[in-house]
Amino acid sequence: MNEEQKKTYLEEYKQEKEQGVKFYPDIIYKDLLVSFAIFLLLLGLAIFVGVPAEPPVDPGDSTYIPRPEWYFLFLFQMLKYFPGQIEWVGTVIIPTIAVLALLLLPFYDRSPFRHWKMRKVAAVIMSVVVIGIVGLTILAAVATPPQEETALATTITDKIVLGQDVYSIHCVECHGAEGEGGEIIGVEGLEGVFVKAISSQDEMYTRSDDTFFAIIDYGQPDLGMPPSGLGYGGELLRGEIDAIVTFMRYTWDDRVEIPEEAAQAGAIPALGPDEIPSFEVHVGPIVKRYCVSCHRPGKKNNNYLMRSFQETMETGDNAPNVIPGDLNSNNILMLHRQEIEAGGPMPPTRALKPELIEIFERWVLGGAPETAEEAAALSPTAVPTAPEATETSVSP
Amino acid sequence: MTARVVSWLDERLGLISIYSLVFDRKVPKVNWWFTLGSASLFLFIMQGVTGVFLSVYYVPDPSKAYDSIQYIMTGVTFGWLIRGIHHWGASLMVIFVFIHMLRTFFMGAYKFPRELTWLTGVILLLATLGMGFTGYLLPWNQRAYWATTVGTAIAGTVPVIGDFILRVLRGGNDLSAVTLARFFSVHIWFLPVVILGLISVHMYLIIRLGISSVPKEEEG
Repeated sequence: MNEEQKKTYLEEYKQEKEQGVKFYPDIIYKDLLVSFAIFLLLLGLAIFVGVPAEPPVDPGDSTYIPRPEWYFLFLFQMLKYFPGQIEWVGTVIIPTIAVLALLLLPFYDRSPFRHWKMRKVAAVIMSVVVIGIVGLTILAAVATPPQEETALATTITDKIVLGQDVYSIHCVECHGAEGEGGEIIGVEGLEGVFVKAISSQDEMYTRSDDTFFAIIDYGQPDLGMPPSGLGYGGELLRGEIDAIVTFMRYTWDDRVEIPEEAAQAGAIPALGPDEIPSFEVHVGPIVKRYCVSCHRPGKKNNNYLMRSFQETMETGDNAPNVIPGDLNSNNILMLHRQEIEAGGPMPPTRALKPELIEIFERWVLGGAPETAEEAAALSPTAVPTAPEATETSVSP
Repeated sequence: MTARVVSWLDERLGLISIYSLVFDRKVPKVNWWFTLGSASLFLFIMQGVTGVFLSVYYVPDPSKAYDSIQYIMTGVTFGWLIRGIHHWGASLMVIFVFIHMLRTFFMGAYKFPRELTWLTGVILLLATLGMGFTGYLLPWNQRAYWATTVGTAIAGTVPVIGDFILRVLRGGNDLSAVTLARFFSVHIWFLPVVILGLISVHMYLIIRLGISSVPKEEEG
């Protein structure tokens, strides 16, 4: 605008002001009316809609789908169109340009026109931007899946498998691998306590999933069961507790049928007649399910940890507990429920199934290999076509 | 009696001149669109008042934040109402400030002589979004935590200095008590002070220059 145009504008504005109204009461009246309407709207939203409840922070639960506040959704959605290397175009370039364009608007748009019909380019650009923002927001809202259904493992099978793993580590030491309970042996502070079975029909038919969840989460401190939920000082994420409940329900409740896939995934892999088991494929899963619950840090276990091949072979006050080729290894003797210098029968409450002990023995006899390749190489019928042997294998 | 009190006060405070300057002035005839600014101001005041009440019980500590809000919702008389208003007020304020900006844009009200009003207004819009972003973390629930994790991670994608910005925002590599403390402080001190200051300038300019008139087509 040049000086002439400025002058014209100011004169016109002065005229309009003179023909106008008083700020008080005319303008103030409208303002107060709108503010009062907003106040009523706020009250209504606060009373009738309220604030949605959310679970507390669970930093370990990386499966939670992040949802920004709705007015940032369009930004969130826009970034999806700038993947990988060019991400910064969406995160830096476009927002910077947008903010600068907005801030400096009066300094580059110097035309004297004010009515939108005289500023069609500006009006179209802003309309497109606004439509874009609204469109992206809607897209994002539609694209974001509901939280509950995808809270953790996506399928029932994934949940059951995860639940079994978590159960094996956190629950087996007291409740047993099959939820059979019994006298607790070797658990600090709970030595000799008798635990009822949690896999019984009584239990399954009378406890809802919510009850199981609450018991695992909060524990039953008066009965000696410590809380497992992160929120109460335990170690488990909410999704993990949920997975345990799913595992329990599908495995122990005879009214529910476990999906074929899940049953297979949870089974200890089959072993061929002459095949030498490996830690990776055979012994590891057994150890994970029956041993790790106690043989992990922070438990009473003579410092014998079994979370990996390395630990299983080397750790412990009475190491080595596994001597390749020697059936008098501590582990084998204890699996056969012998009382030896290194300790008593293992697992303390209930013997491992004979076929599982056999896998253990064949593994030790065969040289206690770590990987499947090593096992195949050690095998007496060592042939590169090992897969054939496993295909004709019998189930343990 | 009333007249004497008023005149006594006026001699000392100059109330009448303020009244005639601010309230008893002529303004162009305008429509309802021109109430958006005062609506934004009203929402800011509501957020301020409810926010002050919330700060009585809210504890910006990761181990207590969630429970303190639970307490506000269930233990404090009308705490749920105060938080409900604050929660919804945030969304409404973003909407109203944004539409206020659009109104100003489409009516060309940012032009001479109101360039500075526009400038402060845009910064106010950004500060409002900043309030939304920082306030979102404070309930310290899953939604808050993960939204902020992602939101701050976006800052980390800035070339060269991204990592630095990320660590300034989070006060470390991950979200922690430091992040919560920073967001809390920015939410209740830094940004409100900036917003208050800018609103003062914004309003001074509006009173000094007068509200814009509705543009007429023939005049351009």
